[in-house]
This record gives sequence, structure tokens and C-alpha cells, in this order.
Amino acid sequence: MEWKNKIIILLLALFLGGFSLWSALAPDAAQSLTERRPLAQRPELTLETVASGKFMSQWEEYALDQFPLRDGFRSLKAWISLDLLRQKDVNDLYLVEGSISKLEYPLDQDSVDYAAQRFRLVYDRYLADTSCTVYLSVIPDKNYFLAPQGGYPTLDYEALIQSLTSQMDYARYLDVTGYLSAEDYYLTDPHWRQENLLDLAGYLTGAMGGAWSDDFQLHRERSCYRGTYWGQLGLPLPAEDLCWLTSPTLEECRVYDYETFAWQEGVYDLSQLEGADPYQLFLYGSKSLLTIENPAGDPDRELIIFRDSFGSSLAPLLVQNYGKVTLVDIRYISPMILDRFLEFQGQDVLFLYSTSVLNNSVTLK
Amino acid sequence: MLFSSITFLYYFLPAVLVLYFLVPARGKNLVLLIFSLLFYGWGEPVYLILMVFSITQGYILGRLIQRFQKTPLAGVFLWLSAALSLGMLGFFKYWDFLAGNLNQLGLASLPLARVTLPIGISFYTFQILSYVVDVYRGKVAAQRNYLRLAVYISMFPQLIAGPIVRYSEIEPQLASRPHTWEGAACGASRFVIGLSKKVLLANTLGELTQMFRDSGEKSVLFFWLYGLACALQIYFDFSGYSDMAIGLGRIFGFRFSENFRHPFISGSVTEFWRRWHISLGSWFRDYLYIPLGGSRVSKGRWVVNILAVWLATGLWHGAQWNFVAWGLFFGLLLAAEKLFFLDKLERHPVAGHLYLLLVVVFTFVIFDSDGLGDGLARVEGLLGLGGYPLVSGEALYALASYGFILVLACLGATPLPAALARRLTKRLPRLGAAVQPLLLVALLGACTAFLVDGSFNPFLYFRF
Repeated sequence: MEWKNKIIILLLALFLGGFSLWSALAPDAAQSLTERRPLAQRPELTLETVASGKFMSQWEEYALDQFPLRDGFRSLKAWISLDLLRQKDVNDLYLVEGSISKLEYPLDQDSVDYAAQRFRLVYDRYLADTSCTVYLSVIPDKNYFLAPQGGYPTLDYEALIQSLTSQMDYARYLDVTGYLSAEDYYLTDPHWRQENLLDLAGYLTGAMGGAWSDDFQLHRERSCYRGTYWGQLGLPLPAEDLCWLTSPTLEECRVYDYETFAWQEGVYDLSQLEGADPYQLFLYGSKSLLTIENPAGDPDRELIIFRDSFGSSLAPLLVQNYGKVTLVDIRYISPMILDRFLEFQGQDVLFLYSTSVLNNSVTLK
Repeated sequence: MLFSSITFLYYFLPAVLVLYFLVPARGKNLVLLIFSLLFYGWGEPVYLILMVFSITQGYILGRLIQRFQKTPLAGVFLWLSAALSLGMLGFFKYWDFLAGNLNQLGLASLPLARVTLPIGISFYTFQILSYVVDVYRGKVAAQRNYLRLAVYISMFPQLIAGPIVRYSEIEPQLASRPHTWEGAACGASRFVIGLSKKVLLANTLGELTQMFRDSGEKSVLFFWLYGLACALQIYFDFSGYSDMAIGLGRIFGFRFSENFRHPFISGSVTEFWRRWHISLGSWFRDYLYIPLGGSRVSKGRWVVNILAVWLATGLWHGAQWNFVAWGLFFGLLLAAEKLFFLDKLERHPVAGHLYLLLVVVFTFVIFDSDGLGDGLARVEGLLGLGGYPLVSGEALYALASYGFILVLACLGATPLPAALARRLTKRLPRLGAAVQPLLLVALLGACTAFLVDGSFNPFLYFRF
């Protein structure tokens, strides 16, 4: 059948040739909005880069990153893997009841030990000889709730918490797992939803000796949020609403950013709603050191939170009893230099970390 | 450059196809050579020098062998060419292995070269050797046209992963070859099927084997899943590359011989090696086994010949003791089959298949391991001797996540899919003819999706 041969050649040539021309002629994109990362750019062609092989290796990355309809092809791959090949995950990401999560196992004991060592360093250096009261709380990742439902392997959470609490005998452990469920996390992101944390915040506030009021007003930006897992998985899942809570107290708060030496009005950066990662709305995103000043709080009470990104959305809910709440992220600032900025005396100190960071604690300085 | 890469599929291949079919017949070999050198130099530009040197020595010494045919000088030139080819292969591939072992035994204190192995050196060395030996034997005439010999040795479709093409097979095609719609369509179909075997099946199975290697929770079940996945991954990877090579060759008008014929349906190791990497097996048969005397010698000498060939086969795959053990294991099994139980296996095909599959799992686990100690530890795991639990959570997860692919791969390793396609085409020729082009485009789209996602895409031939 000569016509069949011609159709085979024609279709394959159209596919290969079409995408080839498209790749060659289309302008290069600077970044991937779905994956929130810069895309590789056309490498420099010189005798030196060719001889060293650098041009070729960079070209391979460039060709992958700038391929036309890249996001569409990534969606196709996820669909083939999950629905046709019946795989349980794609690039370690899986979907249970519309919620995406990332496999996080097994327990890396060395990582937990390292995190405990870094926390111990903070304690020994700044807290041991003070009247500070130290608390520890561990935030379970989404797998804690989703993995058993879908038959996915998980960390041994009990062992992780047991290990950490035994190495942090100077801290009182506040168990928040009972205040959380799978619905309290974004469907497309690892983070939790601030509007679902009122019970948890109330528990922490009470446990640290404060009075709790849940007088907050809910604000909602509809269908604006596609979390980091959405971009990584590549499936065309719908965008989510992003909510944040305000109160008269929070309205009066201002935030000092030690990186820019500047005060910001309010605890939320609403301009981030238009940005690539609207979750950065909470306390201005990834910051090494921030202080929230609360004019309505008790000026003699101060809270210091050693935290990861989960702390950004929770901290505003813990402000109400304190004159000052300081957030320290030792992924971005060395704990050795904290005394340049902070004086540790009489504060409540909360170590608030997610299991994902504890199990990958190499990022802690 | 890899066939299974965006650079090859969407930059290199369209460019070479357009130029190749645009130029007149006399310019086609030149286009092939230029693109083959570009293809080869893409990974390690410096090794282009080796390639050009190999081609040149093969060309000059081949001509000299013919010039002095039937004189002692022909033998001298043959040995000189073999020494140059094998010397290069020996230095780049085996020097560190030899020196490292001698140093470890305290017999020498030799410096290690620590050089990167030139990709495909084992393949093109064997092609040059077969060429000069065949010229010496008078089977083929020495090629007078440098360009044609250069195309034979460096042709990118089969350059880095075979099949090992004999000069005698394609000598006439180097001078002139037909280019037909049928040839191009068959070649393109074969290429897409090979690409799919590599990208969709082998790479996905590779994720499972990688998951096993990374696991801290191994169990007997996990060892078996790994063993099965490993054998299938190597098969689909290697046979996929061969399909792509044969398909590309067909597009350019060449006919390369088959390299795999459903080896896992074999009923004995003897049959397996008639179906697995056929071009390598026949190379060793013609250029080592038969010169050593083959089977027309005493039984003891014959066993030595078999073991020598399989020692060489093992070492050809890599300069590590696990490859030596892998080759010798096959040699012993082949000798044992021929001496004791091949006829029994042929009388009991079910038992023969089970035996072969067990041999495949155990040997490929050794093949895939990082050294002999590691290989033996994995064999212990398969046998339940390593103190591992029978089942682990990770193994169950791997089974759930990769079970369907393993079933697909097992079926795909049999002649069943091809037989079904043939039956469909025979019964419903119009439907079959309409579906095939769409299916090929869908497969190419799926492969592109997997490549764009930057998924697992290992290159298994760096040792060869």
C-alpha cells in the first residue's frame, strides 16, 4: 500500500519538522511560570565552549527547556504515567482525592539528628541561660493524611517526633497533628490553608499561656492560586482560592524586614496575588528574619518562632497576645549571628518545623 | 548524542534528513559522514581524532593487505591493524582494570589512565577488525574509496550501540542504494517503535531499578521485582536502540541485520544467545570461536574455546569482574547444555522456558551490579539468603506502581504484539493501514512528552 507509506512519512515528517521549525523559530521564554524557575537560554557558541563540551551539555538543557508546548507535553506525560501505565506517582508526585502530594520517605535519621543539632546549637548559644520558655511543634506534611488513603509509603512520623523530642528535652512538645486533616492543606501545594488553622492557633496560643480570640475576617481571592505541586506534576488541575485572615489587631501590625532594614505596613503583601507565587502574600514570602510589631499586644510579651515557610501563614494568628513576634528562618540566616539582631531574654520561643524540612534538613544553616 | 533526546529528534534528525534527500546520489555519503562525525563529536569532540585515526588506519592497512595478499606482509599489516584497534580499545577500556588489579595484588605499581571511555569504541573497533580480517581472508575487496569506508565505520545510526554491521553485508549499499517510500516508511516505523521501547518502557523500568538501588528497605520480593525489571529494562533499552538503528539505516537505504529476536521466549541459553545481540554473538563466532578451532577439536579444547569466547564476551561488555563472571557463567551454561541437557530442555519446553527466565534474572542482576561483590549480594537477595524480609512496604508500593508496566513489558518482549498487528492488518487491511500512521504519531508524541519532562534517560552503553 503505497499510500499508507506516504501517509506514514508525511505525518511523521509533519510532526518532526513542525516542532523542529517551531523550536528553531519561536522566541525563547525567560522562565517557566508553572515550575517557577528560569529556563535555560541558548548557550554561547565559541570554539572554547565546543571543545570543552560545555556548549553541547548546555544545548541539551536548552532544547528541553525551550521546547514548544512544553507544559502541554508535561501534562501528557503525567496523564500517560498515571492513567495509561497505571503508575502510582509521577516524579514522586501523586494525586489522592484531587490533592497532590509528594512522596517523602523513608525517614532520614541523619537529617533529623542534624536538625536537632542545629536547634541544640541555638538553645545552647542563646537560650540555655535565659528565662526563655521553649516549645517545639512539628507540622506533618500532607502525606501524613493522604498516603495511607492511597497506599503510598510514608515517613515513620512517630519515630521522627520521638527522635526529635528526645533530642530537644529542653522544649515542651506541642502536638498539633490532631488539629489538622488533609482538607487543611492546599490541593496543589504542600502548604496549609491559613483559614483552617484557627483551632490549631488557638491550641498553641493557649499552650503558651495566652488568651485566644477567633475574631478574624476572611478574605478570598478566587481561583488565583496554583501551588508548586501543580507546576511540578503538570496535570491541568483547576486553580484554587487563596484566603487570608485579618482582624483589627492585625490591621495595626507592621513588619520589620532585617534584610531590607525597612518597615512594612501590614502582615500581608497583597501585591503577591498577581505574582508567580501568591502564597508569598503571607509575611512577604521567604525571609530570613522578620519582626511583627503589634501595638495592641502586651509589650512585655514576646514570641520568637524558628520556622520554615509554614510559619508565614500561622504566625499572624499567634500575634494577638504579644507585643512582638519575631520569625527566624535558619535556612537563610546562620544561627551563629542571631545575637547581632536579637536579644534572648524572657521570650516564648517556638521551634515550628514541617516534617519535610526535618527530613531534608541539609538546608538548615 | 542520544537518539532518545530532543536535540537528536528535533534538531539533528530533521537537518540530516533534509540535506540527505536534497543532495544528489553522489553527495549522500558525504552528508552522512559529516553528520556522523557531528553526532559522534557532540559528546566528546576530542575523540573525533580517534575516530578519524581508526578509519584512516583501517583504510590504509586494508589497502596494503590486499596489495600484498597471499604474502607474509599481508599478515603483518593485518596484525598491525588489529594491534592498533585493539591497542586503543585496550588502553581506553581495559588499562585501568588491568593496572588496578595488578596493583591491588601487589604485582605491579602501574599508573592509572583515568580517561573517559570513547563512546561506541567497542562497536567501531569490532567493525574495523571484521573489515581488515575479511579483506585478509579475501572475502571482500579492500575499499578504494575513503569516504565509503569512513561512512561504514562512523555511520551514526549504528555507531554507539550497534548492531555490529559487517562490511561484507553493506559493501554494495555503500556504493549505491535504493531510496523508496516503502523503505523510508518501514524505517520510520521501526525507529518510532524502537524509540518507544527505549523511552516509554526501558526508562520507566529503569526508574524501578533505580528505586531498588536507592531503597533502604529491601526485601526478597523487591529483589525479584528488581531482577525482572532489570532484565526487561536492558532488553528494551538495547533492542530499542537496535530497532532505531535498523530503522534509521532503512530510511537512508541501508539494510542492517537483525540484532534481537524475542530472546526471552527461548527454551535454553543456547537458543537465547541465538536471539540476543545476534551481531555480537556472530562476530565472536566468526572471528574468535572458529579461528580457535570451534567445535572441531577435542572435548576439553572445545570447552576451553567456549570459555575463552565467553570470557571475551563478558569483558566486551565492561572492564569489571561482574562482567567476567557474567560471561563465564553463560559460557559454562552453554557448555553444560551442549554436553548434558540441551536435548532434555528441547523435549520439555515449559521447563526450558522457566529455566531460561531464571538464568536471565540471575545473570542480568550480576550484569547490572556495581562489581562482583555487589552482584553476588544481589544474587543472595534473590535466593532469600541475605537476611532480608520476604516483603517490605516499598516492595509492595513498587509492585503496585510498576505492576502494570511489568505485565506490559513481559507481553511486549514476546512476539504477541507483532502477531496481533499482523492479524489485524490481514483481517482489516484498510483499518490497519489507517491506524498505523496515527499510532506512530501518537507514540512519537508520547516519547516527546517523556523526554520533555526530563525523565529518567540513562545511557547504558557507556561501557561498550
